[in-house]
Amino acid sequence: MIHPVAWLAWLGAVLTALSLTRNPFYLALILLWISLVAAWSRPTAGTAPIPISPLRFGLVVVTFSALFNMLTVHFGDTVLFRLSEVLPLVGGDFTLEALAFGGLNGLVVSGLFAAFSLVNRLLPVRALVRLLPRAFYPVAVVASIAVTFVPAMLRHFEQIREAQAVRGHRLRGLKDWLPLVMPLLIGGLERALQLAEAMTARGFASADRPANEIRIRLGMVAGMLLLLGGWLLRLAWRQEGLGLVLLLAGAGLILGMLWQVGRRVPRTVYRPEPWRLEDWGVAISAAAVAAAFLFYLPGLDRSTIFFYPYPALTKPRFDAGMALVTAALLVPVLRQARRPRPVATQPADKRASGHFTGEPGLPGSYLMEASDDQL
Amino acid sequence: MRQQALSLAVYGLSTAIGLAAFLYPFWLPAVPTPAIMGQAHSQDAPLLLSLLVGLCFVVLLLEVQGQAVSAKLMALLGILVAINSVLRFVEVAIPGPGGFSPVFFLIITTGYVYGGRFGFLMGALTLLVSAMITGGAGPWLPFQMFTAGWVGLSAPLCRPTVWLLQGEGRQREVLVLAAFGGLWGLIYGAIMNIWFWPYASGPVEHYWAPGVALVETLKRYALFYVTTSLVWDALRSTGNVLLILAAGLPTLRALRRFKRRFAFDYRPVFDTAPTGSRRNG
Repeated sequence: MIHPVAWLAWLGAVLTALSLTRNPFYLALILLWISLVAAWSRPTAGTAPIPISPLRFGLVVVTFSALFNMLTVHFGDTVLFRLSEVLPLVGGDFTLEALAFGGLNGLVVSGLFAAFSLVNRLLPVRALVRLLPRAFYPVAVVASIAVTFVPAMLRHFEQIREAQAVRGHRLRGLKDWLPLVMPLLIGGLERALQLAEAMTARGFASADRPANEIRIRLGMVAGMLLLLGGWLLRLAWRQEGLGLVLLLAGAGLILGMLWQVGRRVPRTVYRPEPWRLEDWGVAISAAAVAAAFLFYLPGLDRSTIFFYPYPALTKPRFDAGMALVTAALLVPVLRQARRPRPVATQPADKRASGHFTGEPGLPGSYLMEASDDQL
Repeated sequence: MRQQALSLAVYGLSTAIGLAAFLYPFWLPAVPTPAIMGQAHSQDAPLLLSLLVGLCFVVLLLEVQGQAVSAKLMALLGILVAINSVLRFVEVAIPGPGGFSPVFFLIITTGYVYGGRFGFLMGALTLLVSAMITGGAGPWLPFQMFTAGWVGLSAPLCRPTVWLLQGEGRQREVLVLAAFGGLWGLIYGAIMNIWFWPYASGPVEHYWAPGVALVETLKRYALFYVTTSLVWDALRSTGNVLLILAAGLPTLRALRRFKRRFAFDYRPVFDTAPTGSRRNG
């Protein structure tokens, strides 16, 4: 298994590359790499099944977005046919260029969807909770309580349904949900009270954590002002360079403050996920892909990533170097193909719905992971 | 005083930037641009937009979570989020019609009873946790969390109306909440579409002309909305209304009862007496 942070880097690279390029060659290559990684990796035990298959999603989105763009953008030289201008908005020339541009945009969105559903399938819920930044410690505790109690709540829901069914309860209309949902809610609130008492008894409430200090909040406000300023400069006054500097400064300030807050929360990890050599490989190759799409690097023709079908559809340019760089997205496959790392987490949980790895009951282990100083 | 001003500044700024970022496809065409607008520029806009919304959300969440540090609130939030995720899970397993989703019901009622900050956390965390569980995390997640948070944050806005109607504990209160839920059902869909909009809309300069741009963009967005999501959102909106009408009164009663039960305060008692005098039996 590849480290969750390495997966995040991979996702970041895919996100950057996909949102910057509209060149059909590169788009197709990136989609190909994503599907190869998906084909070679097996889902981790304890992750959710994907509700919609990325392929089906992609087909629908590409078709829809191409047709919609052709219907509403009447621009471009290659006119396929025309509708009377009397029709509002839809009337006018229907061009090949608009169709192509819409289709390309659809490809981008389906690539994003495929990449994220791949990572969702590979990372267990626990790893996702652990990815929350340290500064969001209360949020992480709430999320882990919730994740831990979901299987218990599902079982509770089943019990209530059976109990009501024995009494002759039938689901016919909306009102019939009431006898199912209300006991779930009231029972849950009752449990929350017990959990609060248990946490208090373990000393959770005694830690008096002050609200964020003035310095931190001032930093946040200043960071947001910088962001706003930089964004407006770039958009409205075309000050590309200065705007970018301000944007970066604002983002840096906010992230720095976040780090400052997080530093005060010591976190110990019960079962650390090792960071191996392969994880470096994934992270570095992801950084390389992102860099190639973001900056002009020597030896690569970055300008080929910008493809623009208007006003007349031309053959998109292709740079072999750039294409080779995108292949770095395949690095996770090398790791997955070499040897299956023994699953470091607990055996697959067959209880309840089979999608969760969390043990029901008190979220002891999660709390320990979230913060030891509280217990 | 200063604390409150700062808090207000954080809420105001993050909401304003978030709103501006959400709505930028509409106001961007109104900004005069030189004819040779770089292609690069129009293409990095969605990426920049996601980053901006994400950062604003980080700031807002950091500010709001400062309120939820007590064990009681954490436990209550955790369990309510779990219940809501179960409802969403049931919905994924047995799909309701269209955009119908039972999660907004609890976000609105808890925000209304327990306050806007609780509602914000409830909305944002419900979406976060259920995305983790059902495998629905993606670049749209910050937008979803932001918007669902807004639903909860704005729920206390119903209070003055209910107070005016003197409807607390009566059917009138539920009617107000149902109208609120119906409205948000539509707005939520419209906002979530905007995430997708930069991808669906062509480059802005093609239909840019002074003064016409905004109208034109709005027209296209209206067409986009009607073709893609009006039916879907109408179903979600109706679902919200029906759910609140059917289960509103008993839920409000239960939430209020537990609000009273949760109103205890825990104060650690420090033994200030010298250790020698402690009676150890």
